[in-house]
Amino acid sequence: MDMNVSSVTLPEDLSGLSSQDLMRLEKQIADRFMGGLPWGSISWGLGNLAVWLSLWPLTLSGILPLWIAFPIATLNVMLSYLPSHEAQHRIIAQEGDKLFWLNELVGHLSTIPLVVPYDVARLTHLEHHKHTNDPELDPDIGTKAKGPWHSILNSIRNRQPGSKASASYGATLQRLGTPAAQRAGLIALAWTGHAVVAALIWWLPRHIAQTYIQFYLSWAPHHPGTETGRYRNTRSFRSLVGNIGSMGMQFHIIHHLYPRIPLMRTPAAYWALKPVLEARGCRLDGL
Amino acid sequence: MIRVILGSLMKNMPFLFGIGFLAPLIKEVLVLWHVSLGVPPLAIGLVIGGTWGAFATWSGRWI
Repeated sequence: MDMNVSSVTLPEDLSGLSSQDLMRLEKQIADRFMGGLPWGSISWGLGNLAVWLSLWPLTLSGILPLWIAFPIATLNVMLSYLPSHEAQHRIIAQEGDKLFWLNELVGHLSTIPLVVPYDVARLTHLEHHKHTNDPELDPDIGTKAKGPWHSILNSIRNRQPGSKASASYGATLQRLGTPAAQRAGLIALAWTGHAVVAALIWWLPRHIAQTYIQFYLSWAPHHPGTETGRYRNTRSFRSLVGNIGSMGMQFHIIHHLYPRIPLMRTPAAYWALKPVLEARGCRLDGL
Repeated sequence: MIRVILGSLMKNMPFLFGIGFLAPLIKEVLVLWHVSLGVPPLAIGLVIGGTWGAFATWSGRWI
């Protein structure tokens, strides 16, 4: 009996297929999940920024109490990376397309709360894809850790001024003056009597969000970070906080195999491709 | 010249952050929680923020 996956017919037993046949099948299935405008990610990126920006006048004018604004800001900063990530892979639109400006707009604007320049994020992220888990060349290799708690400690350690692990990102960012610009903004706010607001809307949320983002986007899907190669450098996993709580990263293996599949379609693509992933010997830890 | 000035600023960034951001933050928190230690809250902020920033500059770590 054959399985029909979105109009691609899968043989029940894939073990008899050659590597080429498996690749053909894999691409046929993956193709069905690419293309179209990912409106979810576009509205997520721009809407999230609008909410974060609105917190400033609302708190500074006393309309919104800081204890309400702080968790909202933290969520905003946590959510600020992934829409830019879609743009980094030109998922919204490619160069030469009519809507390429929208791709770049989302890319540049969505990471403002995180203070990560789009071009730096894109260049370093594409290097991560090219050299995943390579101890010398993967810019994210510093997030490698023995387990979840070690990963959190590692994330905090990597943000210390003298950390060598963050040097690959740090050197690029320092060249662009971004940390200095952010600190200048915080210092200006602090000396005009808004230090607590700046701390609870930007500084502390950014630290919490960086730990969360590094945990779910970098550490968890690449753990243990020792293998390279298309089918072994990333894994699927079952997250304690579910798919939404881990921002879709349970299915990050799909993103590494097909970076042009939009984030919100990776779960469906995963289930469709699962027999092929099993046949390829991928790590599908509990999912 | 600019490179030397910026280099020196970057090298001492944790200290500058300590007195530039942490000091007024500590002051605001003390005022908010009505903590009075007999000295101006900003002085306490500058001592704690400055010392912490100097430690971070010297050791390469905040914690």
